[in-house]
Amino acid sequence: MADAESAKALSGLLNGIAQRVYYNNTDITEELLKSELYADLSQEQFHTLHEKMKGLLKSVASADMDQVQLEAFLTAQTRKQGGGGLSTEQAAALSKFWRSQRPRIRESLLGQSRWEPCLRGVSWRVDLQTSTSRGEPASSPVALVELELGRTGKDSEFVRMEFDEAKVNRVLKKMTEIQESIDSFVHQS
Amino acid sequence: MAGSGSAKGGLLSDGSGLLGGRTPAEVESMARLLRELEKEKELFRKLLKVAVSAMEGKDCREAMRAIAQSSTVPQEHLSQIVAGMYSLLKGALRLPVSSLKQEVFKEELRELRISEEFVTDFASVVFGNRRMALEAATKGQGPRLPTVEDLRWRVDVAISTSSLVRALQPSILMQMKLSDGRTHQFEVPVSKFQELRYNVALILKEMNDLEKRSILKIQD
Repeated sequence: MADAESAKALSGLLNGIAQRVYYNNTDITEELLKSELYADLSQEQFHTLHEKMKGLLKSVASADMDQVQLEAFLTAQTRKQGGGGLSTEQAAALSKFWRSQRPRIRESLLGQSRWEPCLRGVSWRVDLQTSTSRGEPASSPVALVELELGRTGKDSEFVRMEFDEAKVNRVLKKMTEIQESIDSFVHQS
Repeated sequence: MAGSGSAKGGLLSDGSGLLGGRTPAEVESMARLLRELEKEKELFRKLLKVAVSAMEGKDCREAMRAIAQSSTVPQEHLSQIVAGMYSLLKGALRLPVSSLKQEVFKEELRELRISEEFVTDFASVVFGNRRMALEAATKGQGPRLPTVEDLRWRVDVAISTSSLVRALQPSILMQMKLSDGRTHQFEVPVSKFQELRYNVALILKEMNDLEKRSILKIQD
């Protein structure tokens, strides 16, 4: 029972660290984690544990370890002598946490080195003009497209534009070129 | 004067004419003033030219001033004639060729007691070679969103970053130049790119489908 509880507390701690370090959630503080999860530890004991987990998580995340690398890394950590070592339970909790959070943390880390606004979403509508105040309406359809662009942590900016069929076709052709370009890299590696 | 207007409503009236609309006042005054100028064909053509330029969105103040200086007709009358011509052409060009027959158009002008020669000149603007150019000019004046003028792209593969030792992550940098002069540059992660590409393909499909569905073709 005690094991299950300490595993739960540790998993909570890892999640808390991830929230703060990788997901920019500033509501989660070291003090909050201590009072919620490790109320019985002294300030210093908790601080040591917190820093250790944060450091381990950073090593795992920055190397974006796969399962094999992670196991090797954790095994090495559990074999460490003295206070710096990791218990098997702690290693298991870390392993479990990383398995579930790896894609999300990787995405967040990639985002940290992305400075241009990023495409967040696209919505569109196809209209058929039926009548206008001036001139004969073009009875060909028009596509209205809205792109949502935004920098990490900032509000989105919306860009709206319209396309006739020929323009949509041209854009699609460019996207095919882009796809080919990406495929040529991805398939080589 | 209202009684001499087109009984059918039709192109000269406000709205569609279905409600028995009346010929716009400026067209009425134009018709009246033109009856006094039946001999001044040269002046009529000059004024018609000004009205056509105005339809194309050009600034016609200079041309109007020149005409006023070289003519004995009061400037106020000239302005009224051009306003009427503009209104008449605008009404006529709004209707597709398929629903406004040349004969009907001429008949409506005759009902306003516009001389045959002027009627022919009006008809040549509305149904002649200029029509395409006028339509093209008026089309651009409606409310619309900017279009994409240029789309440039670059595919990057991040090898390593300050927070990831081995990123090896492709991403796309896109630069979009819009017709309103603004340029947007943004990054598209591969997953978002797939979403974008899928959506663009879907838009194209929708547009194609829409054109095929003859039921939605707008016909008068």
